[in-house]
Amino acid sequence: MEDNYNYFVAAAVIAAKLNEATKVAKNLSLTASNARAVALRAGEGAAGFKPLTEFIDRLAHVTIISSREINTLAANLSKMAANKFRADSAISRFNIVYKKAAQSEHIHSLDESYTRTKLHQSELSNGYSKQLLKLISELEQLKDELRTAVILATLSRVEASQAGDSFQEQLNNVAENVEVSAGQIKEYLTSSLQLVGILEQEST
Amino acid sequence: MKTFKIFENDTHQWIVIGRDPDKPNLIIDTNQYIVITKDNCLLMDPGGIELFSAMLATVIKLIPVEQITHLFASHQDPDIISSLGLWDQALNNATLHSPWLWEGFIRHFGMENIKFNGIPDEGNCLKLDGASLTFFPAHYLHSSGNFNVYDPEAKILMSGDIGAAIEAADAPMFVDNFEEHTRKMEMFHRRWMPSNKAKNDWVARARQLDIDMMCPQHGRIFKGDDVKRFLDWFEELEVGILEQKSEE
Repeated sequence: MEDNYNYFVAAAVIAAKLNEATKVAKNLSLTASNARAVALRAGEGAAGFKPLTEFIDRLAHVTIISSREINTLAANLSKMAANKFRADSAISRFNIVYKKAAQSEHIHSLDESYTRTKLHQSELSNGYSKQLLKLISELEQLKDELRTAVILATLSRVEASQAGDSFQEQLNNVAENVEVSAGQIKEYLTSSLQLVGILEQEST
Repeated sequence: MKTFKIFENDTHQWIVIGRDPDKPNLIIDTNQYIVITKDNCLLMDPGGIELFSAMLATVIKLIPVEQITHLFASHQDPDIISSLGLWDQALNNATLHSPWLWEGFIRHFGMENIKFNGIPDEGNCLKLDGASLTFFPAHYLHSSGNFNVYDPEAKILMSGDIGAAIEAADAPMFVDNFEEHTRKMEMFHRRWMPSNKAKNDWVARARQLDIDMMCPQHGRIFKGDDVKRFLDWFEELEVGILEQKSEE
């Protein structure tokens, strides 16, 4: 279904997906705060868990900042794409006029409008391509960052197993939350990168 | 699209453009009017996106594109002005005259290059080289901010949706049998015009004008005695019918 999106719809969908990713990252940040509190209460039994919470918090922070940036980029791309669509639409209609009124003595009076709109279309195309490259780079960087989430979840489980019985379950929940949140964000990024394909087709 | 010259003197000419044979079936047929003077051109109710290329191709057969310096939108409807975003790409030095009330709405069609001149409720005048045109208030007929264009020299009233009729796209350009024509106008006016008070106020003011031709945006042009026949018919017509039924 998403393969059928028009390019400016695809950009808006990416913005929406990254907005969802930001929400998940905010929950991840809450998870890190809870984990810190549990680790403090667990004392020596969860001494190794405390530094992990800082990593979880950092991952959440990076994800929130990066998602917001990507969200803004995608929203700009959507706006540029809509403007480009309007310029494309004008150009295709001008071409119809050139055919329909080919014999008109005034037909070349359209040349200036055509050239101006072509220039505008070309500026939008260039701006669009630059923004698109930036978007791809941000998406891939964030995806790389999320690789650490798997390690964090594994380490969290190891540390949880060493905590006392009364804290083990809570710390395992933290590990579970990190894994699930990272998985969800990764899903949003993967489907966004798939949609980028539609945007790339438009920039060529 | 077909063009019909309906007036010409030494300062300006009026042309009606319409009856587009390539128009998609499900969109309502529209008449576009243009006034051409020595160096300028006013395009009235230029139409929707679907009509843009046909309209531009037709106008460019008459004048160079840079001569289109003024646009007029009687109100905000899509069949009137949804092509604005495309005209905005085509015209580098044009002004859109439209009811002040609709500026924030009409800009949704896309307007970065074209300047907006909001017409005050009481109307005003536009001088184009030797021609002088009046924006004649027709509020609530049917839109809450709505104008006609009156040319005292040509004695033409471009009446927008007033006098509109729904009929075949290949219908003649002029009313030839008024009685028969009322059947094509009745539903349109009863349903689209919301206020008897506004309608009767407009009729009283329109009676003060010297009109040879009344030119609606849909249907046929009224000439000579048919203008008076229309004013009489319209005055008698009860409008806003659905509202009245719901009050019963």
